[in-house]
Amino acid sequence: MSQPGRLSSSMSEVEPIDTRAAPTTVASNAVLEARALSKRYGDVEAVAGLDLSVGPSEIYCLLGPNGAGKTTTIHLFLGFLEPTAGSVHVTGLDVAAEPVESKRRLAYIPEQVMLYRNLSGLENLEYFAALGGRGSLAPERLTDILVGAGLPRDAVRRRVSDYSKGMRQKVGIAIAIAKEADALLLDEPTSGLDPQASNEFSELLGRLRERGVAVLMATHDLFRAKETGTRVGIMRHGRLVTEMSTDEIGHADLERIYLEHMHE
Amino acid sequence: MIKHIVRKEFTDVVRDGRFRWCAALVGALLLVSLGHGWVQARQAQEELAAAQATAREHWESQGEKNPHSAAHYGIYAFKPRLALSFVDEGVDPYTGTSVWLEAHRQNDFLLRPAQDATSAQRVGALTAAQVLQHLVPLLIILLTFGALAGEREQGTLRQLLATGVGRSDLALGKALGIAGALALLLVPAAVVGAAALVVGSPGPGASALARGAVLAGVYLAYFAAFVGLSLAVSAWARSARTALVVLLAVWVVNGLVAPRAAVDLSRWIHPTPSAVEFARTLEREIANGVEGIERPDRAASTERLLAEHGVERAEDLPVNDVGVYLQESEEFGNRIFDRNYGALWDTFERQGTVHEALAVAAPLLAVRTLSMGLAGTDVEQHRHFATAAEAYRRDLMRRMNGDLAENSRSGDFSYVAGPDLWAQAPRLQYDAPTLGWVLNNRILSLLVLGLWLAGAVLAAAAGVRRAEVA
Repeated sequence: MSQPGRLSSSMSEVEPIDTRAAPTTVASNAVLEARALSKRYGDVEAVAGLDLSVGPSEIYCLLGPNGAGKTTTIHLFLGFLEPTAGSVHVTGLDVAAEPVESKRRLAYIPEQVMLYRNLSGLENLEYFAALGGRGSLAPERLTDILVGAGLPRDAVRRRVSDYSKGMRQKVGIAIAIAKEADALLLDEPTSGLDPQASNEFSELLGRLRERGVAVLMATHDLFRAKETGTRVGIMRHGRLVTEMSTDEIGHADLERIYLEHMHE
Repeated sequence: MIKHIVRKEFTDVVRDGRFRWCAALVGALLLVSLGHGWVQARQAQEELAAAQATAREHWESQGEKNPHSAAHYGIYAFKPRLALSFVDEGVDPYTGTSVWLEAHRQNDFLLRPAQDATSAQRVGALTAAQVLQHLVPLLIILLTFGALAGEREQGTLRQLLATGVGRSDLALGKALGIAGALALLLVPAAVVGAAALVVGSPGPGASALARGAVLAGVYLAYFAAFVGLSLAVSAWARSARTALVVLLAVWVVNGLVAPRAAVDLSRWIHPTPSAVEFARTLEREIANGVEGIERPDRAASTERLLAEHGVERAEDLPVNDVGVYLQESEEFGNRIFDRNYGALWDTFERQGTVHEALAVAAPLLAVRTLSMGLAGTDVEQHRHFATAAEAYRRDLMRRMNGDLAENSRSGDFSYVAGPDLWAQAPRLQYDAPTLGWVLNNRILSLLVLGLWLAGAVLAAAAGVRRAEVA
């Protein structure tokens, strides 16, 4: 049995990890936590014995190819899927046992934020914020959140049917901010965004981190993961094959390690 | 929480151009059919009142004649239209609303618009009840099929449920939001309908508002069942398109297949003779009598009278034996009518019970039965009036034959009665059944509709609870 994975001092060799064992870095006050988490579809193991923990002010980036199990992991945290084995916890709450309350402590931005086309950006935000437990926020406050998320002020009251994908994504970010959740789940959030919007998004994550929010982000973007994340985990065939602190590696190291795992 | 969902659903639906067009169309049809029905019902009631007055005038001014000739002269009776008949004309166009009351015969009803209408008129006739029973459910389907399946396809369901909103709250909020949008269409129609009831209702006003309130409740339950059913299908279906196809199939079965199948099935289980067969049977039994109902013999009748009064000649009897015999013949005929019409009505009633029970397969059957019942245009209320009219006919014939028997003597063919006798005959006083009578007769339909509503709500709750998100 191999030991939990960690980067060697030279960061050139990667020891395989035993994902059934405790995670390499266990935050004592984990906001997001997966314990021996598995999800199986027939013969396919989408997630296999995943142990993962994200603490306050951490931005954990899950890397991996398509089908590695990143999105499934996010959906398990959201309670959209039931685990085949193991459990997921949000601020200590078992998601399976307390699906509604655990979701109240989460915010979620999918790869493509989908909104109600007949409502304006402001109305969409008002609706999602209200359902997220924020009650009725004043329109001025909601407008500030939307503008703060990068939406042009003159677009705030326009119907979403006129929005570009980038604008919808910004409304999604605003929804997440307005919720003031303990944890943020992101599934390829910068996919399709232009570089400027991606940078703004990274800055936003930095601000959320300063406020103590735990972030779990599934992404293909190695550069963004290194720039934004505090830790990075690489998934393959449903397993977390390695994880590391972004302080310990450079961009080139991350790319090399990633490719090494993909070619194993 | 729920109020936000309701408000969003309402706004989303109302801003949807497809809804606005469909609602405008259905609303216009509903208002036009209500208005047209009201005008028609009012005209028909006025015509019936005028015809009834004319018939009475003819009866009273028929001049001097033998009372039995007056019995053959007869009089028309007209079924009054209840106030709500403008919403649902029910079976009236098929069963008729007037009957000629004469000696020896229990005639069929006349004034059957469906019989006189061209095929184009029959297809084109649209009542408010048809709009409520067919088009509003179709509108509900169009509003609701994408409620969950569409959100899942578009990806908004994931974001919605990620907020932590409870699924039962979501289902209830969506249902109420859609109901709110429908209210934009139905409330004005209900106000117009209530105003039509209050202002110059076409028929007797007794219990009209109470009947109207119950009718509104029945349709609300029907619409709520459709909303629940549509939500359940939308939650279960893999795609919005699948949900729409399934719901349209439900609509076709409910509105087109089930009514036809229910009629055929109930007739197959409890067959009724054709009109020709029925008439031949009546004719044969009237001519020959049947076991237990013997045709009276005039000679035997006279013999009995002679024995009763202790005289030897008919001319010495204190009553006219012809009048007595005519009444005996009338009573013989009545027993034959009771036997045949009673069996026919009982068969119709059993068919109706099968029809009501089949509503477990299609809620429209229950709603249609209740709607006609509350509007006073169903078969049972037709029977109620027919029975009252027949009782009146028998009383009238008894009066005519009684006058002949008491005031003339055997062999006196010159006896005539005058306007005094005609005026003494009371007018037909018909009291339509009460609301309680109607509801008591329709317990099965109420029960089945309640089951549909409860089942649809439970199915929607279960569907939304189990709806897959990812």
